[in-house]
Amino acid sequence: MIEFFKTPNINFLKYKYHAFALSGIIIICGLITYFIRGGFNYSVDFTGGILVQVTFKENISTGKVRALLANAGLGDCTIQRFGERNEYIVKVPLPEKKRGELEVGTEEQNVIATKIMSVLMSPEDRKKIVEGFVNLNAISTSELKSLLREKLSEEEAEKVAEKIMKYRNEHKGIIIDFSELEGIGIDKNIVEFLKSKTFLGSVAQTRLEAVGPRVGKELRKKATLAIIWSLLAMLVYIAFRFKFQYGLSAVLTLTHDVLITLSFILFFNREISLEVIAALLTIVGYSINDTIVIFDRVRDNLKIMKKSDFEQILNTSINQTLSRTILTSLTVFFVVIVLFLFGGRAINDFAFTLLVGVIEGSYSTIYQSCPYVLLWENLFGKRHHGKK
Amino acid sequence: MGKDTWKWILTLIVVVGAIYLAYPPKEKIRLGLDLKGGMHLLLQVVTDDAIKMESDHVVLRLQDLFKEKVIKFSRIFREEDPKTIIIEGIDPSQESLIKDAIDQFANEWDSSISGDRVRLTLKPNVAVYIREMAVNQAIETIRGRVDELGVAEPVIQKHGADRILVQLPGVDNPERVKRIIQNTALLELKLVVKGPAESREELLKDYNGVEPPDMEVVKSDPVKSRVQGYYLVKKVAAITGKDIRNARVGKDEFNQPVVNFTLSNQGGKIFEKVTSENIGKPLAIILDGRVISAPIIEAVIRDAGRITGHFTPQEAEDLAIVLRSGALPAGIKYLEERTIGPSLGMDSITKGLRASVISLIIVMAFMIFYYRLSGLNAVIALILNMIILLGVMSYFKATLTLPGIAGVVLTIGMAVDANVLIFERIRENLRLGKSVRASVPEGFRKAWVTILDSNLTTIVAAIFLLQFGTGPVKGFAVTLIIGIVASLFTAVFVSRMIFDFVLSSKKKLEKLSI
Repeated sequence: MIEFFKTPNINFLKYKYHAFALSGIIIICGLITYFIRGGFNYSVDFTGGILVQVTFKENISTGKVRALLANAGLGDCTIQRFGERNEYIVKVPLPEKKRGELEVGTEEQNVIATKIMSVLMSPEDRKKIVEGFVNLNAISTSELKSLLREKLSEEEAEKVAEKIMKYRNEHKGIIIDFSELEGIGIDKNIVEFLKSKTFLGSVAQTRLEAVGPRVGKELRKKATLAIIWSLLAMLVYIAFRFKFQYGLSAVLTLTHDVLITLSFILFFNREISLEVIAALLTIVGYSINDTIVIFDRVRDNLKIMKKSDFEQILNTSINQTLSRTILTSLTVFFVVIVLFLFGGRAINDFAFTLLVGVIEGSYSTIYQSCPYVLLWENLFGKRHHGKK
Repeated sequence: MGKDTWKWILTLIVVVGAIYLAYPPKEKIRLGLDLKGGMHLLLQVVTDDAIKMESDHVVLRLQDLFKEKVIKFSRIFREEDPKTIIIEGIDPSQESLIKDAIDQFANEWDSSISGDRVRLTLKPNVAVYIREMAVNQAIETIRGRVDELGVAEPVIQKHGADRILVQLPGVDNPERVKRIIQNTALLELKLVVKGPAESREELLKDYNGVEPPDMEVVKSDPVKSRVQGYYLVKKVAAITGKDIRNARVGKDEFNQPVVNFTLSNQGGKIFEKVTSENIGKPLAIILDGRVISAPIIEAVIRDAGRITGHFTPQEAEDLAIVLRSGALPAGIKYLEERTIGPSLGMDSITKGLRASVISLIIVMAFMIFYYRLSGLNAVIALILNMIILLGVMSYFKATLTLPGIAGVVLTIGMAVDANVLIFERIRENLRLGKSVRASVPEGFRKAWVTILDSNLTTIVAAIFLLQFGTGPVKGFAVTLIIGIVASLFTAVFVSRMIFDFVLSSKKKLEKLSI
């Protein structure tokens, strides 16, 4: 039998005030960071605005991208490298003062998006467009099909168009050189024909998100409400299954979890997006899991250890469930770290939030929820099972 | 086996059923837009437009009626708030006559008379009804257009009171699609009284600079019209888009793209009458309030017509599409739009799958390392969990999104928790010196309450996510919920069954590999 702990007997609750202090310091630092940064770094989901993701033909530095955009008067945007050195995300949130305005649609954002794409193009691209060439890195399947129909039959045009598009999709949305097309078995004559009609643009757009101010505001409200309601639901559920003070302690713990996680998001300047809110709610669900396992043991032990005082019972319960707490936290930690390292940039903020939550959730189960129950019992519950 | 036979059969049915539902996963599992690429649009129907239309209609009707019944009035007009119509300059002695007229022809309006003014307000329930109809009709129109575009598996749903959610997987020409959806496509054919002219003033010279009540000035379309200027046309359209049965792209004698349309039976009859009475006069073809062309009526036309103008082949094709699907009853605004290119989706799938496989391997290895043969039991439960998860997803046609894949990964980590709880309880019993045969059932029994409580709370949190979430986030909540419920079955029911099988197959059992 492999065991991490034979029969652990650690006096966890001895350190409860240290734990309170630690959590307090983290949350206060989080608050300070909040005010220094002037709030959270919200994604365009919540601020309204646009997000454009692009792939360049060649590697390019963040500074260069920034300079290009700044020259065109788009200095306010955020630029993020997305994995490789040729993939970038450009975000332009709506200015704060504009969010309240009545204009609800995305017209304005689309204008900015078009501007961004034209600024990021190389001068050669622009020349080619003026000369009437079509950008093969921006063409749609149907357009490519109708272009190819000049040379090919309906059926063949469709087949070739789809082949080219599939290749483009598998290569981050960008074809670098016409020779690649011959490499996937496109007839030489067709490639020559394409060369005479099209060019390979230096940058391709792979994602565009435009969120109007009204939707942004609604999503912000919805996200806040979802978290508050889920916390309340936990309170009711646990108060019903256990006792009120357990429900209250659990919810205080969960609030603590959310605050600590938000603090870390602030420390590492991560973005608050819809996915991150989902991660926060998951942490709420996950952390309560741990808490319930211990409370469950406490409920059991209250019947068995009638002679012991409450603090003793809590400590024993924590120790008895310790290997389970560690094991489950470990398996969840493994999968979350895999998500964080290998899940890709698109869910990295999400994985980061979960990572913080998983580590912090195991700590809070032991060092927050149990001490809260203990404090309550010491204050109000002496008649039931205080020191006799 | 004996008394447990039914458990094995049930498990077999569930697993085989899940495999049947989910195999091959490439075809059976619906991918979200973030994985497949495509467009997500949230539209707002400007339902005020529909109310305006109704009010304008009532204004015209009342004007005719008052003239017919010789009721005195100076002006009937719609206020800025489209739910209100004002009639000015009435003769108070005709009050009962006016009340009758309104009751008869505008009974959906509440009226109040004070002095020489009548104020009509649209009844609130009627306004709600008009708005609702406008949204429903817009959904139908958009559905028609999307079908014309040949998008596979589109989602077109009402979203709240006046919004429509449109999801179009695989679309790679978002600008065109957006234009086609948003195009009001209100087609009207109106007789030209005068024009084209350089300016409004020139047209209205003969009318003291004011539009006569039955006429209006319309400007030409700056791009699509070959002749630029202003036209004075009859206010009442001879033919509208509603009378069109079909529209197709064609070529004119100069090999320029045109749109040919055919009219419905009823429309044809009207058109025949109008054209026969007006041979030699121009007829304006007006799209969304702009003149596209104004050809001369050369002969009696029964049921076919042609729209010429400055069109690229694509524009002509798009015009034909929107004419076939009919006009939108109200304007549309885009509140939110997300376009994900297919290349990005492919990248996400690759990375998501890789993360899932690595997680699965690590967790399995860990469970076997720590719990030995019992760990293998948990691993079997985990694999079954994944199979059931996929089966249930394809059964409910749930969409797998990128956060959804993260949900699967998280399930891998969390599903073994039930096994861990059970195994730890069994170990405790063994440590207390109890026999293997007594420890196993007791471990399961004691752990069950905890498992139920802890999983239910996670599900409660996930349900809130479902409520709150949009597309991708919803996908996460869905996989998490299904995964957790499946783990109750696999980690508790199936694991127990395997334990019982092992216990009953050996006569003497002193040690358990745990």
